[in-house]
Amino acid sequence: MIRDDRKLLLSSKHPGKPKIQIYTSSGLPLSTIPWDLSPPVLIHLTVTSLIVLTDEGVYRVYDLSNTASYRQYSLGSDAESGVVEAKAWEEGMVVLTGSLGWLEVRGWNGGRAIPMAAIGLTEPPSAWTLIPPDQSPTGHVQLLISTSSTIVTLDALERIDQRISRGPFSHIRVSPNGRFLALITITGALWVVSSDFGRNLSEVDIAELSEGAGMPERVEWCGDNAVVLSWGGRVVVVGPAGESLRYDHPPAVHLVGELDGLRIISSSTCEFVQKVPDCTLAVFSPGSSHPAAILYDALDHFDRKSPKADESIRSIRPDLANAVDTCVEAAGREIEVTWQRRLLKAAQFGRAFMDLYNPSDFVGMAQTLKVLNAVRYYEVGIPITYEQYIASSPSVLIAHLVSRNLHLLALRISQHLGFRPDPVLKHWATSKIARSSQNGVDPSDRGTGDDESICRAIVEKFEKEGERGVSYAEIAKKAWESGRTRLATMLLDHEPRAAEQVPLLLQMKEENIALTKAVDSGDTDLVYQVLLHLRSSLSPGDFFHLLDDSISPQLRPAVNLLQVFAKQADRGLLRDFYYQDDRRTESACLELEEAGQQDDANERLEHLRRAAKSFGESKDRLFEAKMTEDAHRLLTLQQSYERELDHKFTFSGLSVNAFAHKLLVEGFGKRAERVRNDWKVPDKRWWWIKLRALAQRRDWEGLENFARSKKSPIGYEPFVTHLLSLSPPQPTHAATFVPRCDAKARADLYVLCGDWGKAAESAKERNDRTKLE
Amino acid sequence: MASSTSAPGPSRLAQTHQPPPAPSTSGDSELTVPNALPAEKGIDVSVLKELAKSELIGSLNDIQGAKTLILDPALAGPLGLVTEVALLKHQAVDKMFWLEPGALNINTRNVVWLCRPKMEFMRIIADQIRSQQNNPSAAGPLVYTILLVPRATELCRKVLEDQGVMGDVTISEFKLEFIPMEEDLLSLEMEGVARDIHLNGDDTPIYYSSLALMTFQRAFGLFPRVLGKGDSAKKLADLLQRHHTSGGSQYGDIELSDQVDGLIILDRSVDWATPMCTQLTYEGMLDEFVGIKNSHIEIDAALIDANVSAPPAPSPSGAGLPSTPITKKKKHHLTSSKDRLFGDIRDSNFAVVGSKLSKVARRLEGDYGGVKNLKSVSQMKEFVGKLGGLQSEQQSLRLHTGLTELLMPITKLETFNRNLEAQQNLVAGYDPTSQLNTIEDLLNQEVDWQTVMRTAILMSLTSGGIKPKPLESFKRDFLQTYGYHHLPLLIALQDLGLLVKSPPPMNLPFSNLRRGLRLIVDDIDDSNPNDISYVYSGYAPISIRLVQCLTQKNAILSPAPTSGTGAAGEEDGVGGRGKSSGSRSEKPRAYPLSGWKGFEDVLSVLGGATVDIRQRASTGTGVGSSVVPEDNRTITTVVFFLGGCTYTEIAALRWMSRVAKGRKFLVATTGIINGNNLIESFGDDPPIALIH
Repeated sequence: MIRDDRKLLLSSKHPGKPKIQIYTSSGLPLSTIPWDLSPPVLIHLTVTSLIVLTDEGVYRVYDLSNTASYRQYSLGSDAESGVVEAKAWEEGMVVLTGSLGWLEVRGWNGGRAIPMAAIGLTEPPSAWTLIPPDQSPTGHVQLLISTSSTIVTLDALERIDQRISRGPFSHIRVSPNGRFLALITITGALWVVSSDFGRNLSEVDIAELSEGAGMPERVEWCGDNAVVLSWGGRVVVVGPAGESLRYDHPPAVHLVGELDGLRIISSSTCEFVQKVPDCTLAVFSPGSSHPAAILYDALDHFDRKSPKADESIRSIRPDLANAVDTCVEAAGREIEVTWQRRLLKAAQFGRAFMDLYNPSDFVGMAQTLKVLNAVRYYEVGIPITYEQYIASSPSVLIAHLVSRNLHLLALRISQHLGFRPDPVLKHWATSKIARSSQNGVDPSDRGTGDDESICRAIVEKFEKEGERGVSYAEIAKKAWESGRTRLATMLLDHEPRAAEQVPLLLQMKEENIALTKAVDSGDTDLVYQVLLHLRSSLSPGDFFHLLDDSISPQLRPAVNLLQVFAKQADRGLLRDFYYQDDRRTESACLELEEAGQQDDANERLEHLRRAAKSFGESKDRLFEAKMTEDAHRLLTLQQSYERELDHKFTFSGLSVNAFAHKLLVEGFGKRAERVRNDWKVPDKRWWWIKLRALAQRRDWEGLENFARSKKSPIGYEPFVTHLLSLSPPQPTHAATFVPRCDAKARADLYVLCGDWGKAAESAKERNDRTKLE
Repeated sequence: MASSTSAPGPSRLAQTHQPPPAPSTSGDSELTVPNALPAEKGIDVSVLKELAKSELIGSLNDIQGAKTLILDPALAGPLGLVTEVALLKHQAVDKMFWLEPGALNINTRNVVWLCRPKMEFMRIIADQIRSQQNNPSAAGPLVYTILLVPRATELCRKVLEDQGVMGDVTISEFKLEFIPMEEDLLSLEMEGVARDIHLNGDDTPIYYSSLALMTFQRAFGLFPRVLGKGDSAKKLADLLQRHHTSGGSQYGDIELSDQVDGLIILDRSVDWATPMCTQLTYEGMLDEFVGIKNSHIEIDAALIDANVSAPPAPSPSGAGLPSTPITKKKKHHLTSSKDRLFGDIRDSNFAVVGSKLSKVARRLEGDYGGVKNLKSVSQMKEFVGKLGGLQSEQQSLRLHTGLTELLMPITKLETFNRNLEAQQNLVAGYDPTSQLNTIEDLLNQEVDWQTVMRTAILMSLTSGGIKPKPLESFKRDFLQTYGYHHLPLLIALQDLGLLVKSPPPMNLPFSNLRRGLRLIVDDIDDSNPNDISYVYSGYAPISIRLVQCLTQKNAILSPAPTSGTGAAGEEDGVGGRGKSSGSRSEKPRAYPLSGWKGFEDVLSVLGGATVDIRQRASTGTGVGSSVVPEDNRTITTVVFFLGGCTYTEIAALRWMSRVAKGRKFLVATTGIINGNNLIESFGDDPPIALIH
């Protein structure tokens, strides 16, 4: 994998300050980092950064493209006891602390270190290893820990004892595909099991291999097929059946396990050991009768103009597609360009004899090889294999090239593969700014020409590459962070997206522009972001002033949002704002709303009073002022009636209608009349209220008297229909009102009352034959 | 769903929130319904549902270990439409609580809050975290996550920061956008959108809508054309443009769609009158008088399940249970995908629902009667195979008969009919003054305040405001009758231009649109409609007429032929020639989506911005030509209601999809509204009770 293309040395043996040096796989030095903290326990390379963790629980994240700057984080109080050991993967690490607990750190952004489940160890484990989330069955980080005779699986939630009795183990290694484990028992056996401990796969006594050197120093996987042990400079590859291969690199080696092989770094060389891929075997193994081998052979004959070429092709005709595909695949596994070319040529040769062939694999492979050969070039020094490239995806490779400041190569590869070039361009621009700012020149001496030329260079480059997706704002931010405000402003002007501009504008204290841009963006959250920022950074006076002279329509939305926000979160602010801005109606409505939220009558009355006052100060709101005064009067009267009646009844909060109704129902006719008079309840409405109230009291006599008191303004039909609508209905009483109704309707009303006889009678009176039927 | 072990603390999710289990026999019902939907289909929107579902599952799976989920009650409904809440168990959700103030009782490692990004929620959450930290639970330190729907806002972060808990929680997003309610209906299921935009001037819903429509375009391609009416529609269209041109790789590379020919954005403020009218379709009536929320209706359990018979039947097993007189309420998911009968009647005018139901009842009776004529084993087998379908059909017939019986008495009420008459007179412009008397009578009889207010608003909208004196006395009567706490509502309605004195201070164009958009159709046949106005028995919603301006110009210009086949009469262009030879049942082809041409007068009378944009793919390969419905292809037109739409409007668009072939309308909306909840949202909450 890419991250393993460099060898790290902690050259603490040298006198003076320790340094961390980074080299490419081809041995070219990249950078040197002086180290001033306590000794590191973990040095880890990801695609774009270098992580160094100290034994005191502090870690630094270096950006590979600029190792002069770093971010430093602490593991927090959980790591007070120090760090014993740590293991990392691409996106995080797990740390064994001095108090024998494990902490997980996810992402390299200084996120909180989360303790994993407690395990209760009393002494450090003899070995442990980490299964990254993408390989673990749960999708989260898991640890395998060798403790006493067993192995414990640990994750954030629980520990599971695997109940193994063969421990303790001196090494635990997970195969690259996560399916197998290689364990070295204390008795000196290499034991390979499936990762769920369900199947024993092989067991080899390493005493024969060790030649008396005892336990191996290092154990790694070589692909998923073989385990590699090392003693000093001696490297032994052990196959599934116990067969072994031996390499010697005195005095010492470092082993790096990779997806499909093993990297051996000795004091003088960096080698890669790999099982020969199947497709390569098919073509090249001596005496192979695989169609691909015959095809390759046929090309040979063809080149020598031998007629055997045709014969060979004929013999594999049905398998030609297979032969071509195998040649293409084998080409991908070759490191040497000559062999790649030869194999692709064989594939092309075979293709010519086929009626139908989909060339996309062929073209894709040629394209890929071009990329691979470019990055394998020793000056770049990334000897990535085809498998690794496919597994890690081209965009990872591009990101890595960018972090090496190989922008042009990254850009060309992006374009070659049809990727969007914006990440490359963005990085290019930011490092351009960083470099030009680093040159040690005092910014004031640099003059304005420099800013302009840089800005122009960046913009021109972007436009030339036809890229619209690049965020100028991010680049501007970098410029601003390196103290180049003017350049930042210039770059920001090229940013089409407000959402990107606003945060930087706020940092740059360009509040007014930020607010306008935020409003223009239509993104209300962005407006809030600015408003909240302004609210906390400006005095209330300045804050209102900013919004006040912005009654100009374009800031209207911001003022609206402020009201929405303040209504929920800061009523004091809202009241002040309405007051300052002479918004009487809004002030009054605010009081009304608060009145409704009060459960104390006096408080509510106070709010109503204030609301009425506010309404009264606006000449357009006289009606509302009057209504609010009425509401105040109503509640006052309700309160006083409640007191008069010894709080036996509850009137407060009722509407005028409901109040009068309740008074009538409870038999306080006088008081009801007063309500009627004080609120000038119109006759019709009053009759309805009283009709309903008397009906509810079942006060038939009172109802009769009421009906007789004067001619009903609502007619008498409501008397009938209302009494019928009661539950239970009152048809007998209802019927008494029918004669007073309009003659035309009487027959129908009688029917409703269930009095068919009377119905017929009244129909007859009107000579209505149809009704009579 | 949470396990049955009860937990103290905040109330548990009620069991009734689960969508009822699907009928045991599902697939068979299709065979027995003869008048299946037309074969032509629009785009398949179910992918959006899958998207939301996998997004939720992904968000939950990222959190390791057992979780306690605390849910915003307003999200329960929408969530239930995306995934079965019970399935969340697979994501290690142990327990669920409502999000409400009060301490938590947690015995899982994780606490996950799932809610809209509201400040009040953030404060509750902060309180809960703090109280939890003061009383550490036995399970050890807890991991707190907040999932915000549809996105995390700066505002929420700020509140959490101010409360001092920002460092303790992880904030992530759950992008729940368009929820497919039916195959032709998408909803954001947001509440109070019209209030936010038009009353408070808070354009957050517009921004959310723009994000949702961008997601839609990523799934189905760029709208070749964006049309719309209203100032907010313009804002939304501008946002869509901006996302497209400067949204980076996420939105920049979208290809022009070949299945969707355009987006029509309708701003609710363009047509306030329609929601004020009482909806007269079956589903519309259900929403008005029973209430439909997130496609669910709450009704007596007896209507859904025959086993829970309505009167307290002597239950054989009910030894210890006292017979409770309270009828059990149950939520039922109204959807045409499970209930074909509902699909057939939902959009019918309520007047004809009864006869449709009885027709089905008779057919079912016949089908069941078939059992007597079974002669051979194979016939028997066939019949048994059909039985499941018959049973589920019978079940849905019982449900809808029950619901119809529920609605029928309401339509017989004198107040209902007087109100309806007033509404119809008002939209027709007939004698507005005497309608005011009707409104006054209704008020005196103390019918629901919403009913009175809707008709008053309709009066103000249709007759250019109400004369100052009557208006003032109406307001006074209204406040005295229904309470002074409605005063802010009256002010809000005035600000919105919904209830104003004449001459109106703003443009109230209704009376000028009556003729221009042919809003009033006199002789509409409810059972076999030839115009969209059937949804209000003679009034055609302005909103949908505007869609017709773009897609069926003839429907507005001339009355449709009396046959039920369609509104589009003469047709020029491709394939129109062979019309005469076609049989009567041959539907006319839909026109290509045209611009506003021909309706400039209407647009200027209507006021507000007009949108007409052609979008182009940025890659340059897109030809940019507008999509023309080809002979045997069906093109989809998306109609987006910014501020909500009513069931009647959906019904009208469905009718338009049916009458012409080649075009399907896909309704997308911020939410489904009716006049009641619309005007309720403009007012304050009712006052709380006073303490004595």
